[in-house]
This record gives sequence, structure tokens and C-alpha cells, in this order.
Amino acid sequence: MNSKKFVVTAEIGPNKGIDVQEIMENAELIKERVDAINVTDLQSSVMRLGSMAVCHLLIDRAIDPIFQLTCRDRNRLALQSDLLSAWVLGIRNVLALTGDHPTLGDHPEAMPVFDLDSVGLLRVIGSLNEGFDMVGNQLKGAPDFFPGAVVNPGADTEAAFEMQIIKMEKKIEAGAKFFQTQGIYDLDLFERFMKRIDGFKTPVLGGIILLKSAGMARFMNKNVAGVFVPEPLIKEMEETKDKVKTSIEIAARLIKGLKDLCDGVHIMAIGWEKKISLVLAEAGL
Amino acid sequence: MIVTKKREFNELMENIKNYKSVFLLGCSECAALCGTGGEPEVKAMKDALESEGKEVTDTFVAKSGCQVLGTKVELKPFKDAIDKADCIIVMSCGAGTQTAVELYEDKPVLPANDSLFLANMTRLKVFDERCSLCGKCILDKTGGICPVTRCAKGLLNGPCGGSKGGLCEVSKDTPCVWQEIYSRLIRLNQLNLLKEMSRPKTKPVHPRRLIREDLKLKKEPIKKI
Repeated sequence: MNSKKFVVTAEIGPNKGIDVQEIMENAELIKERVDAINVTDLQSSVMRLGSMAVCHLLIDRAIDPIFQLTCRDRNRLALQSDLLSAWVLGIRNVLALTGDHPTLGDHPEAMPVFDLDSVGLLRVIGSLNEGFDMVGNQLKGAPDFFPGAVVNPGADTEAAFEMQIIKMEKKIEAGAKFFQTQGIYDLDLFERFMKRIDGFKTPVLGGIILLKSAGMARFMNKNVAGVFVPEPLIKEMEETKDKVKTSIEIAARLIKGLKDLCDGVHIMAIGWEKKISLVLAEAGL
Repeated sequence: MIVTKKREFNELMENIKNYKSVFLLGCSECAALCGTGGEPEVKAMKDALESEGKEVTDTFVAKSGCQVLGTKVELKPFKDAIDKADCIIVMSCGAGTQTAVELYEDKPVLPANDSLFLANMTRLKVFDERCSLCGKCILDKTGGICPVTRCAKGLLNGPCGGSKGGLCEVSKDTPCVWQEIYSRLIRLNQLNLLKEMSRPKTKPVHPRRLIREDLKLKKEPIKKI
């Protein structure tokens, strides 16, 4: 991240179950083309195999993982403990997130914990890095995590947009050293955002979600927190005779657009990891 | 007020299936406002129980069902009716129900209602949850609007990234409270409050107890004649 290189990260979402063959194959396919791979933490509040375990498996394959850790399911004891456990298993990068609400997932009655929020979690990581737990007890051996956070430049009201920026500042104050965004589809809005945060001096990786179909776009608009696919792009996916080709085109177009605006790209392929190389090639990376 | 909702009648009937007679106790405060424990509801419950073949020994709507000592005094005239009843059904919140348990240690006590949340009645018969009784009020920092209660995730440092069109990711019927806080702080010219870092809240340890020594009546010593 310290170099001037345009960083590329990707993301894998563990399955519901213990079968990791497919996700490991996908990771192997892209490992040469990406700088690191995020592993999601019970994405969309659906019960799945855990991020820590899969991150550890990626390390065995010489892939640099980014451990996504949300505040949804774990209290401050478990969060601190899981961070120490992650370090011991070789994990170095952490992405601190709030987490989707349990009602969005397949166990909607699960208790929403949110004992800490993402800002609190970043402070905790900072504390552990300095050799203390969050109440000031000295640790026997301190980690040295590289912490990141999330920001949503596509926040769709004036108030939401301004509050994303205020919260981003708090996250930087709390120790965030890099940001990844949710999927970007509106480059003008993203440019406006990047201008506003000029001076924050923290790398931002623009998020790109590969569109698989118009139906998927509509589904995300309705159900996925923080994602909005504009109608023209949905039409492109609807009218095309070759969904894969158009999907790659759209993604590459977006990446070309944000190449000069931010420090890298974070590709969420959601099962289409095999297409990532094509996307990067078409985007000129 | 504490918002309550009537429990399913068949569940209540299941609870009292082995009891022949009932004493009904309502409450004139929150339960009456919610239509679950005032005079009309107590009368309706009496009729319903009687049509199921139960005897209602008597009914009473307490002034403040949660006030144990006051309710004890109010129920003195009903001693016989309560003795005669196999059980007491309390039409108030859970606290009012437990008043009866405090007062009648050997008498089965059943709740008529589900206790829901602490609310404002924002429009006629529309109840919106407003306070979580978290124990450490932060309304001074948020323009008077409570994110502990009205943010589904109870976030204190601003919104998550999940809102769409100013609405919460949990429900399109719910505004994102941080949106409301933002608008309010702009109106009050206090947006700088949003920039302060909030620490994680200390969660209360249940059950809580508060003793106000300073409010206890100081009794005058009785003069000996």
C-alpha cells in the first residue's frame, strides 16, 4: 500500500458448510493477479464458514488474506480474542466493519450484538497493536495488524453522504490505514467523494461488483445494503446477448474510470472469480 | 409509556385451564392508554372469561400497577375476592404483573399482556419506541434523538453503510435515525457534535435496582403524651 502501485484486491465469501474446494480453486486462479484477497465474515448475515479459518487456508497457499471482522455477532471479549487468534494463525490484515443486521440473513432472530461499532473495533485493533487490551491490561505478546475500514461513497442522500465522510474521518483517527468501498456504479458521485476527502491521506480502493444479470442488479438494489445499480446499467445487462461479455465490459469501464481517482480497486466477483483476469486485462491492468 | 399488547386469548386460557375462578387486576396508567388494562378492557376480559365458564370473583383497575405499596393499600377491600380466586390475571405490563406476585406469594398470577417497549404516542394510538432505558443518556450529544433505541444496530458514531433513500436497511418503514439526527443538528447548528468520537456503551447488568434514600419520607417522631 505504501508504493504508488494501483492496488488490486478481490473477495471470497465462504460457503455454508465445510467444503472449501471451490473457493480455494477460485483463490488459486486469481492469486497472481491480485495483491490480497478479502474473506467475508458471515456476509449478508447468512451463517457460513468463518473468515478466520478461510484466511488461514489462504496463507497456506501463499495468498495474502484480508480478514473481515464485523461487530454483528461478537461482543468485545470475543472480538479481541478472535483478533489475537487470527494473528497466531498468520493473519495480518483486518477489515473492521459494522456488519449487516441479522434480519437480512437466514437466521433473522439471532441476537444483534453490535457491542462495538466499526470505529470502536478500529480503536481496539490499535490498542492490541500497542500491547494492551481495550481496558488497559498488558498483553503477553502484541500483534501488529494492518487495519482497514469501509466507506460508502454511493450514499444516496445528502445527509448520508456527509455522514460517511465524518465517519471516515473518525475511522482514520481510530487507526484505519486503508479503505475499501462498496460497489461503485456512479463515477461522477465517486469523483465528488474523492474530491471531498482530498487531504485525508489514506488509500481508498474503489469497489467493483461484477453484474451477472439484470435480475441480480435488481436484487441488489432491493436487498443488499449500500448498493445501488443505476437503471441504464440494468438495461445494458437486460439487452445484451452475452451477459458475461457485457458484465466484463461494464466492470472494466468502471475500473478505467476510477483508476485516476483512487489508489486501487477491490473486485467482488461473487462466484465469477474466473472472470477477474479478463476484467483486469480489459481495464488495462 | 410502556406499550403492551394483549396476549393470545387461547394461550391465556391454556394457562388457566385448571383454574375455575379468577380475580382481574388492571392498571390505569400505561395499560389503559394502550387499551389493554383500563376499565373497558377489564370489563371485556371479564365477559370473555365468563363465556368460557370461568368465575370472575371481582375486578379492579389499580391507579399505578407497578407501585407495590400503593396497590397493596388499594386492594385491601378486595381481600375476600382475591382469597376466593384460584388465580389473578393482571392486565398491565410485566412489572404490574409482578406486583401481584409480590403481594400474593402463594397465588398463581398470569399476565394478560405482552410488554413491548417504552414509547411516545406520536399520533393517536400510534406508539413509537423511543427509549431503551440504557442507563446513560446520550441525548445531549445527538440533538435529543436516540440512536441507541432508534438505530437497529445501536450505533453511536454515525450510520452504517446500509441505508437507502434515508431508510434503514432493516425496514423500508423505518427512517435511518442518523439521518434524523443529522437534520436536527443542522437545524440547531450543532453538527460539530457528530465529529466527536463516542465510546462503546456499558451494557446494564440485570436486574437493576435504584434506592433513593434522599426521597424516603423522614417520619416525625411520635410525641409521647
